[in-house]
Amino acid sequence: MEASFGVRILHGVLNVALVLVLAPLFEGILRKVTARVQSRQGPPVWQPYFDLLKLLGKEDLETGESPGVQRLAAWLSLAAILSVSLLVPMGGASPLSPAGDAYLLIYMLTFCGITTMLAGLAAGSTYSVVGMSREMMAVMTLEPLLAVAVIIGVVRVGSLRLDEVLNGSPYAHAKLPLAGLIMLAVSVLALQAFIGRLPFDITEAETELMEGPLMEYSGPKLALFKFTRMAKVVVYGSLLVALFAPWGSGLPAPVNLLALLAKLLVLVLAVTLVAATHARYRIDQAIRYYLGLLGASFAALVLALAGY
Amino acid sequence: MTAATVMLAACCVSLVGAVVVIPVCRNRLLAGQVNLAASVLAGLLAAGAGLSVLAGGPGEPLTLLTMPEYGSALRIHVDGLSAVFLLLIALISALAALYSLEYMEHYAEYSLLRYYPYFQLFVAGMYAIVVITDLMAGFFICWQLMTLASYALVRFEYRKVENIRAANRYLVAMQVACALILAGAAMLAQGPATVGGHKRMRFDFDAISHGMPDLLRHSGGLVTVALLCFLLGFGIKAGMWPFGQCWLPAAHPAAPSPISALLSGVMIKTGMYGLMRSFLWLVREDALAAFPSQAWRLAIAGLGTITLFVGTMQALRQEQSKRLLAFHSIGQMGYILLGLGACLALLPAGVRDEGVLGLAALAFYGSLFHAMNHGIFKSLLFLNAGSMLSAIGTQDLNRLGGLMRPMPTTAVTALIASLSISGVPLFNGFASKWSLYVAAILGSAHAPYLALCVVVAILTSTLTLASFLKFFGASFLSRRSAAVAERIASRGRLEVGRSMQAAQVTLAVGCLLFGLAPLFGYWVIQRALATSPQGLAILLARPPLIAATGLTGIAPPGGRALFVPLVVLVVFGATLLFAAAVSRLGGVHRRAAEPWLCGYALESEQNRYTAHNFYREVTRYFHWLGGTGPSPHRENGAGRSADAVAAGAGTNTADPRT
Repeated sequence: MEASFGVRILHGVLNVALVLVLAPLFEGILRKVTARVQSRQGPPVWQPYFDLLKLLGKEDLETGESPGVQRLAAWLSLAAILSVSLLVPMGGASPLSPAGDAYLLIYMLTFCGITTMLAGLAAGSTYSVVGMSREMMAVMTLEPLLAVAVIIGVVRVGSLRLDEVLNGSPYAHAKLPLAGLIMLAVSVLALQAFIGRLPFDITEAETELMEGPLMEYSGPKLALFKFTRMAKVVVYGSLLVALFAPWGSGLPAPVNLLALLAKLLVLVLAVTLVAATHARYRIDQAIRYYLGLLGASFAALVLALAGY
Repeated sequence: MTAATVMLAACCVSLVGAVVVIPVCRNRLLAGQVNLAASVLAGLLAAGAGLSVLAGGPGEPLTLLTMPEYGSALRIHVDGLSAVFLLLIALISALAALYSLEYMEHYAEYSLLRYYPYFQLFVAGMYAIVVITDLMAGFFICWQLMTLASYALVRFEYRKVENIRAANRYLVAMQVACALILAGAAMLAQGPATVGGHKRMRFDFDAISHGMPDLLRHSGGLVTVALLCFLLGFGIKAGMWPFGQCWLPAAHPAAPSPISALLSGVMIKTGMYGLMRSFLWLVREDALAAFPSQAWRLAIAGLGTITLFVGTMQALRQEQSKRLLAFHSIGQMGYILLGLGACLALLPAGVRDEGVLGLAALAFYGSLFHAMNHGIFKSLLFLNAGSMLSAIGTQDLNRLGGLMRPMPTTAVTALIASLSISGVPLFNGFASKWSLYVAAILGSAHAPYLALCVVVAILTSTLTLASFLKFFGASFLSRRSAAVAERIASRGRLEVGRSMQAAQVTLAVGCLLFGLAPLFGYWVIQRALATSPQGLAILLARPPLIAATGLTGIAPPGGRALFVPLVVLVVFGATLLFAAAVSRLGGVHRRAAEPWLCGYALESEQNRYTAHNFYREVTRYFHWLGGTGPSPHRENGAGRSADAVAAGAGTNTADPRT
């Protein structure tokens, strides 16, 4: 069922467009719902679009000793998240699946994190580097969770090809897919941390680190970083949907897209409710939480290898 | 002229170079040039021999000296596996010699008489050990040549007592390894044999290999003990856990940087070479049922996994640049060992199933390819660390910072090397880890523990990334440290000289080349397997070359995984251009400004976030792994200012400058 070159290009453009359009919208919904939960009025849903556009026209202050790296980091952050969106199926097949497999996906997700860290290191403020160190610790403990989820899928279907793995593979070929269900729970519990929202926004931690790696950024660079953060909701959400809840993706064109949107919306609402009602964890508390999840995912992998 | 003759010539060039360089050692520049000339000439000969073998198959072996009363003969034989290692040694040794030209200038107080002659002997020893077939006298001579020469190089800075201690440890570890390997050989040797119409001495590799099936049938226990000796002996050399930790992290930082590059990039690979020879080349296919047992395969894959995790976790806590790199060498050798273990684990099933055999071959490809790639990027990293050491005069990452501007070439090459070792896509580390992981994950249907090993390895890759963000960020990005500012004030220019830059750039190009066109590396390994037909390697050479997809793409037979770097490059480049265009949409102008430090800008040295502070919340869970110890290079004061930051940035108001 190999899609033709043209169809793949079309899917790719569609994915990028989806991310570009949806990310600020979801952020708007997130802000609005958070405000309502906290008995505030909240900004209009369209506010994030205006924020980004305004930032693109603001003066660009460069405080680091290597501004070239700062610029590169900002571009890389958007480039990385858009490249990942080409590996993840969004209402169709994964557009870039003839060029890379599940292992490339795992590594590109890690690479998304590097760009913020590079930005923090290049900015040279102490707070930025503290934030960078925290971000890396989160990546160290969180990234293996996704890797385990993907590898369980790979072990089940016996292939690393994206079109086979990102299609509910953790449940495949098992009467009672215990491992898949454990990983579903783990991923849901970790989603908040993957996309860096409360109670896990330890990297940015406005009240202690003043936006951490991003504190020295302004103007278009800040716009790119902010957008990347918003886009993570869409990309990670779609990835989890593809791994654990792909139902409906095989339906004809507009229906599968609508199914994806509905599922993403549910995820966004869940994320918002948790974020609006929880206070931030300290980094050591968060690390302990992540290590707990990591332990559970190892157990799931052992179960998967035993055939459950 | 056969490849063996050419290799003899290469070794002779190095040995002659060692003698010729002695009288000119007083003239530092001339000595460096003689050393470079000898290294390049020997390197060209060795590379020529290697390439001719890869292209046209192994030629006639060359027997130098027969010692029937000892059962040994100095026989030189270059086959495909040797050729791969010869190419690596030739490349790294020539570049290390080039780098030494200017680098050795900053050891003004040490005579080069203790450097260049040993450099040549060391290289000669490494060339010799990968082409000698004798496992007793010949092996002993080559091993000691390599060990004693590198021992002298490790203790080059003999006025520092910790370097002498490190060198002594190294020497003891290598002698233990030597004894173990010789003991293993003595157990396996059965007597002279006639192999393929040629008479072979008792300790010749071919003779031992010839006697293996009989030996396995009659005295399996003896073979087990002998293989254990080989595993331990070559494992000590390769830096395998827990033996690597005994000598490697002390010896590598002690040696001058070009030597560290040779030690880490090439010399420890000879341990892997030995392991590959003894576990894959020594045993014939018909003996596969009895060898190696399930426990062996589990042990090698498990040791590889433990080595890669422990080595990298220990590296994460280092604050000295070269010590950090040394621990990563242990970690990366773990990946190579894991690949070998996965290959062995899949071979028995591979005899029955062509697809599984393809996976076993893929694991071996990953293992050997990673050995090549590690040789390239780790030598580059040691040269980078050497450049910083010669420019700033310290290995302490806490005292470095903001070197991107003053040392751009070093910075960019260090970034490339850091991304390569972290296995970021489009760099060479990714390509080799990819084949290793694909083989192990898909192979877990036959050996389930491999999937667990892969998860640990992926986790460790992230740790490697973290460690190298720290290495690169703390030294090249962040903010200019007091030590760097002082050097700039006194010397004006920090970037290293042309020849040192050239050596670094060449290696960086190698990283990119193998990263973007991994098919080239695969082709070399495919040829290596095809031109060293002996033992299980015949099996591994059988499956078709990893199918090429797209331009330089790679995929295992069956297409259950794939990686096409050029397409990924194009897509990533397009999104990068898009991002750059978006950031220009507003047409805003840029302005340089000071970073905001809550008004404590004057205390910039006190509230710099130094290497000491990175990742403390994670590393504190792993204190029990050890590895830090009293660091010999730790300078006073660095720790204190770092602790001030840890306690809360900007709270230190006792500084006189405020």
